[in-house]
Amino acid sequence: MTDRSDRVFVHPRRLAAVALAIIGVFVVLSVRLWDLQVVNGAHYRELAEQNRVVRVPVLGTRGVIYDRDGRLLARNDPGFAVNVLPIDVPASRQDEVASRLAVLVERGSDEIAKAISDQRVRNPYEPVKVSVRPVARDIALLLVERAELYPGVQVTAEALRSYVDGPLYAPLLGYVGPINEEELAARKEAGYLLQDTIGKTGLEWQYERYLRGTLGWREFERDASLRELRTLALVPPKPGNDLVLTIDDRLQKLISAELEKGVKEDKFTQAVGIAMNPQNGEILAMVSIPAYDNNAFIQGVSTAQMKEWNGDYRRPLVNKAIGDIYPPGSTFKMVTGLSALSTGAATRNTVVNVTSNVLVVDGWRFYDWRVHGALDFVNGFAHSSDIYFYTLGGGNPYTGQRGAGPDAMAKYGRMLGFGAPTGIDLPGEAAGIMPDPLWKLAEFDEPWTLGNTYHAAIGQGFVAVTPLQLLNAYASVANGGTVFTPHLLKEVKGSDGNTVYTQAPHVTRKLDMKQEDLRLIREAARRVVTIGHAYMPDAKLPIAGKTGTAEFGESGGLDAAGRHKLGFHNWFVSFLPNADNSDPTAEIAMVLFTFDSSRSLCDVCFNPAVALTQRILEAYKGVSDKKAGAP
Amino acid sequence: MSVRPIAMPQAASPLHDRPSARRLLEVDWILMVATLLLIGYGLVMGYSITLEDRNFTGDIGQQVLRGVLYAVVGLSVMTIVALVDHSWLGTFAPLFYLATLGLLAVVLLGGQSTLGATRWYSIAGFKFQPSEFAKVFIVIVLAKWFADRDMRSPLTLIGGLVLLAAPVGLVFKQPDLGTSLVFLGMFFGMAFLAGARLWQLTAFVAAGATMVPTALGMLKEYQKARLTAFIDPYSDPQGAGWNIIQSLIAVGSGALTGKGLTAGTQSPLGYLPIAESDFVFAGLAEDLGFIGAAILFTLYIVLLLSALRIAHRSRDAFGTYLAGGIVAMLAFQIFVNVGMAISLMPVTGIPLPFISQGGSSLISICFALGALQSISMRREQKPIA
Repeated sequence: MTDRSDRVFVHPRRLAAVALAIIGVFVVLSVRLWDLQVVNGAHYRELAEQNRVVRVPVLGTRGVIYDRDGRLLARNDPGFAVNVLPIDVPASRQDEVASRLAVLVERGSDEIAKAISDQRVRNPYEPVKVSVRPVARDIALLLVERAELYPGVQVTAEALRSYVDGPLYAPLLGYVGPINEEELAARKEAGYLLQDTIGKTGLEWQYERYLRGTLGWREFERDASLRELRTLALVPPKPGNDLVLTIDDRLQKLISAELEKGVKEDKFTQAVGIAMNPQNGEILAMVSIPAYDNNAFIQGVSTAQMKEWNGDYRRPLVNKAIGDIYPPGSTFKMVTGLSALSTGAATRNTVVNVTSNVLVVDGWRFYDWRVHGALDFVNGFAHSSDIYFYTLGGGNPYTGQRGAGPDAMAKYGRMLGFGAPTGIDLPGEAAGIMPDPLWKLAEFDEPWTLGNTYHAAIGQGFVAVTPLQLLNAYASVANGGTVFTPHLLKEVKGSDGNTVYTQAPHVTRKLDMKQEDLRLIREAARRVVTIGHAYMPDAKLPIAGKTGTAEFGESGGLDAAGRHKLGFHNWFVSFLPNADNSDPTAEIAMVLFTFDSSRSLCDVCFNPAVALTQRILEAYKGVSDKKAGAP
Repeated sequence: MSVRPIAMPQAASPLHDRPSARRLLEVDWILMVATLLLIGYGLVMGYSITLEDRNFTGDIGQQVLRGVLYAVVGLSVMTIVALVDHSWLGTFAPLFYLATLGLLAVVLLGGQSTLGATRWYSIAGFKFQPSEFAKVFIVIVLAKWFADRDMRSPLTLIGGLVLLAAPVGLVFKQPDLGTSLVFLGMFFGMAFLAGARLWQLTAFVAAGATMVPTALGMLKEYQKARLTAFIDPYSDPQGAGWNIIQSLIAVGSGALTGKGLTAGTQSPLGYLPIAESDFVFAGLAEDLGFIGAAILFTLYIVLLLSALRIAHRSRDAFGTYLAGGIVAMLAFQIFVNVGMAISLMPVTGIPLPFISQGGSSLISICFALGALQSISMRREQKPIA
């Protein structure tokens, strides 16, 4: 070897430093590799698999809805939805894609960009639906053909909800819409996805669990340019179950047509008609007028339309059969009567001699609509004497006659279902008010007065009911003492047509009342019609019922258009016994409620609900004259 | 400019220094074995990665044969260069310099483009990439420059940089940012080994650092994005970060033992771009796992340390600096290429020695290894019996 001093060009320490540096860098590389491959190998394997295999949900079609005879009420039409898979949208092109889509799906580009960004955070491998309303076929084709302009955009066939009769069933069926954030958060466990459609209200909401199909999955292999190579696995979705309702479409249409006609003729502004089978609580028809067109929500309701509906004092978005409360008027005399009978304050022979059309107590004047003379129970009820029922409710301080009293009235009223929701299978049911002295103390901090009892006795004052509550109370008397839970669902059928669930009648409670008292009410209710108080000329059916007129303000004044400014609502609650009016065999009970019937206040002032009831029931039973028949 | 006197006995005219059988025994066998194993490794990976390449439509047998042909040519070049006294390389350094500039200029004028960069041209059906040879030639030129001058003078370093400026500029123009950076890496590595004063080197690095903003301004937008994406590839997973993320997924999914040769999925589905060259390490790590990578690293370390030993034993300064420059050239390329695949380095188009497919890279490296063996074979100055 040469002498070290000759080799000044060699710098051993620098060579050693380079050698160490090389080894050091390889150590760093190895540590990093160890971390990537050995420590996190499984994670990256999964990512590689996710690269290769995409798993997309396939939504099952929603079940359809039939009436009791199999007539279609809600169906699915084919349509197209636009979805975006965030992982496939380059961040740099997101805004561009969003603004392109904005034009096609008629939404703000900010909104779309936000939807994509949100989903990117949530789960970029799951598509998010960006079309609120279904898109037309030509737009769907455009998106597919110019795919390079729309990275990550998918067009999927989407079953589109369609409601056959729109407003006729809107208060019952409700509508579906794209799931929102809160609904998604609440139902994530149940397998809901952001592209899901969900029942928003009505039966669509109530029976979401039956109607919704189960998710299927499709796994396919694809390459980096997002071309689909082949389907690896397919778990087909299961379509949702179909609902069969208790609704009888024919009766629904009869009632609706009659009530619509009344509104059109300006006899009243709003109306409710409900029919049920008193023997099992099945709702045969439920009409609330005016209503909204639920198809509008499927197509994406315009803000102008929404504003109009929200601003309308007639509240078309509310199902007035269950969602609003009204004074029941004289129909409530059944409660007063049954309370008096059950407490022993009255019998069928209790006579009140109505010698004046006004009863003055402590300086307050309580009117009757005429001087009736002596009335027993049946005739007091049939003629709807107010003073008779003041007496049965609150007693008469002059004659010393005892009344049932407010607590008993509240007790039996609640037993008949007032003051609490009936439990019908619809959202948005109101409870109504069944007042008693404690209630008044709590609400107004005032003691109960005899006047309160008198007003409650004739269904005025604090008492407020939903039309359904009133119908259900009469139905329980008509069937001999059973309060059923009203229901709209008859059965649930699988997509193969097999029945998967049958709704059995559900008894809310039995009336703790004597059969003879219930029979007495039925007899009295029939007499309402037979004496012509509820005037049914040329009647072909043994209809029994009770009229009601609830005042809600001064009537008689004329407004600028020459109409009576304020007035009253009319009720007629009826049932149709099979053989004899006192038998508990009625298979149909019906309530008609007309709102502001004083609009066309005539000089004769018949309760319009009575004639409507006669026409509807006779047409339904097929016994009407051609002339009187419903259209 | 002061020229360091060269001791005559050590610098006997290279024309008289003929190869002999005895010299052949002085070949660095460890380096030789590592070289052969790495070339073999490269052939195996070439087969696997070509099969995984979704865009490859040719005949796999032909492709393997092509690889073998490159290896044979490379080994022949290595042998020839080894047989020639390395001093000749120094003697012809000015010619190498001119050849480098010429090749780079020609490729700029008439070369062909891939992915927006003009880096190669075609000779009889073979892709020829001058910048690969330029790296080796510039090592020779710099080694000669340093060997003939006083390393203590800052003028030596400045002169070296001036020499470097032209080829770096031409490569940068292609544009090939990675190779330009390799040139700078080589320069500083060699200057360090040649004994340049640390404060001078530091001053140059510091001066260079102040020019970084200007240099960044000269970069194209995509280059900047690529340079910075490795810091957080997930900030733009669909854009600049995409390649890096897919590379990480490929590497990570290889786990300890790999998916097996030709069994990788990232490349066949098009997730791993340029898997035969820039991202070849990701393909290797996916197929053969941590173990495969560790074997590769071991071979590299053996190769680099043997080369350093050769630098240490060289009979003359030119040999030492040449060997050191080759170490710097290979090490820098390995670190940048591997670092890029595992997101420790920015993405640049630098091939991985031996493993990346391409004749120019392999043959130019063989040329360099031949020079190493030549230095090794002539290391001793024992009197001839």
